Amino acid sequence: MQKYEKLEKIGEGTYGTVFKAKNRETLEIVALKRVRLDDDDEGVPSSALREICLLKELKHKNVVRLHDVVHSERKLTLVFEYCDQDLKKYFDACNGEIDPDVVKSFMCQLLRGIAFCHSNNVLHRDLKPQNLLINKNGELKLGDFGLARAFGFPVRFYSAEVVTLWYRPPDVLFGAKMYSTSIDMWSAGCIFAELANAGRPLFPGNDDDDQLKRIFKLLGTPTEETWPNMALLPNYRPFPMYHVSTTWQQVVPKLNSKGRDLLQKLLVCFPPNRLSAEDSLQHPYFSDVNPSMK
Amino acid sequence: MDHFSLVCCETDIGGKAHRAIKDPVLLNDSRVLTNLLSTEDKYLPHTCYFNCVQTDIQPYMRKMVTEWMAEVCSEQRMEEEVFPLSVNYLDRFLCIRDIKRTRLQLLGAACMFLASKLKETTPISGEQLVMYTDNSITLEELTDMESQILHLLKWDLSAIVPNDFLDHVLHRMSYNKSILTAVKKQAQTFAALCATDSKFMMIPPSMIACAAIGTAFRNLNCESGTELMTLHAITGNDMDLIRGCVEQVEQTIRNCMSAYNQSQTPTKQDSHKQEQPTTPTDVREINIMAVDSVQKPVPVMY
Repeated sequence: MQKYEKLEKIGEGTYGTVFKAKNRETLEIVALKRVRLDDDDEGVPSSALREICLLKELKHKNVVRLHDVVHSERKLTLVFEYCDQDLKKYFDACNGEIDPDVVKSFMCQLLRGIAFCHSNNVLHRDLKPQNLLINKNGELKLGDFGLARAFGFPVRFYSAEVVTLWYRPPDVLFGAKMYSTSIDMWSAGCIFAELANAGRPLFPGNDDDDQLKRIFKLLGTPTEETWPNMALLPNYRPFPMYHVSTTWQQVVPKLNSKGRDLLQKLLVCFPPNRLSAEDSLQHPYFSDVNPSMK
Repeated sequence: MDHFSLVCCETDIGGKAHRAIKDPVLLNDSRVLTNLLSTEDKYLPHTCYFNCVQTDIQPYMRKMVTEWMAEVCSEQRMEEEVFPLSVNYLDRFLCIRDIKRTRLQLLGAACMFLASKLKETTPISGEQLVMYTDNSITLEELTDMESQILHLLKWDLSAIVPNDFLDHVLHRMSYNKSILTAVKKQAQTFAALCATDSKFMMIPPSMIACAAIGTAFRNLNCESGTELMTLHAITGNDMDLIRGCVEQVEQTIRNCMSAYNQSQTPTKQDSHKQEQPTTPTDVREINIMAVDSVQKPVPVMY
């Protein structure tokens, strides 16, 4: 690790410690993620192996770049491009105000990153403000692929315990075993609303039940009509019939009507009806986005 | 509720049915196939290493070690991609580094170790792999070799294998479901057989997939004559090349069968036969299937 000079500890990632560091040759600032190799004879942990192999393939300006992997006897160091902060910290520092153009730019970049992952067979599965990195040029990048999986065919059964509660779609909350790219699109919708409200989370549930209640109170409780076979999901339980009582204008007052339309198309309970990332980018909300920003 | 019932209930709700098929997870998204086709070459072994890199390793040794790997994957019922992936790592390693024949099995074991970690929910343990080598390697050697492979291959392990194409291609062919299921099963077996024959080493996975599918259609006597054209239209692979590759696959099947018939010892089989392993690489199984088309008497094995 002579190549990098550690500057400061940034935090704890899904596995291991993250440091800010400087490449001694190029003076480039990077983030180092350190993975300890256990003594249990199994070599490189499969989670680290997967993250590295997936991220190596994902070269896109809206996906955090993995520059290098340093593999020594006792530890593995992942060298990432450095980003100044994550979206969570950005929210904390924005004083309740984010310019509508910035909201649009971040959302567009988030969708670009997701669309790229999806077209490369990768689901992120854990999108949340803490995992979205922002650099000083206002570029947003998807980070922390510790839970990401390449999806092959047929789609594997993933563990239900993946998405942080607040950004977890109702199908996963009901124990759906088969989920797909639509999982990331629900999270994108939640993050969109949070951006539009300058960091106020849309569904800050305390537990699974509370999470579903909050969702259904806003969107109305789904019925067999709007969500066929919902009752067959493993952890399905009936909820009171909430009727929609708040308008989208009340939910995201600062978002324009096109933005509200896009948000509604992402926050759809029945997974197959959620807009895909590629289609979201074609939405009229983005029609005036400066192509260079895209 | 499974994936397919989700898709089925789609059609019940009229106008919105198109949404589901746009989901990239479903096979209809052409971007996924396009991406597979455009990146497959990146992971191809770049040279036939027997003549230029290796000083000791001969083609028959590669055949032996890959057949052993197929057996391990099959017996462990590993995900079907694990075997072709591990052979891909082995070939790419051998393109770069010269090794002695005594280290070849160690290399094969470490390649399976990596592919299993990448693809399986519960990867095979190092200890099991050591056991499969009859304790001819140690755990330490295994993890050391793992590090060497990762280093030499620069962690580029998400290689594309023929199996990645089978569903995409078959999904775009209009035959009834039972034919497609039968074709897929055979094509998987033929593709696995190709991985043990070094003459297919440098052929792109999509071409192997096309040839395996073409061979399966012929083998099952359900070809309509338009298969090669369809395979060409789906993958962009040249029709004559696909035809040539089909012939090579059939040749390999014949070779494998005559080798088997010579060494036939009809015992041992029955016990682990009932349950179809995910990795369909049992040589005996290949023989049974291939016999339909290339030789008349069908040996009854089980």
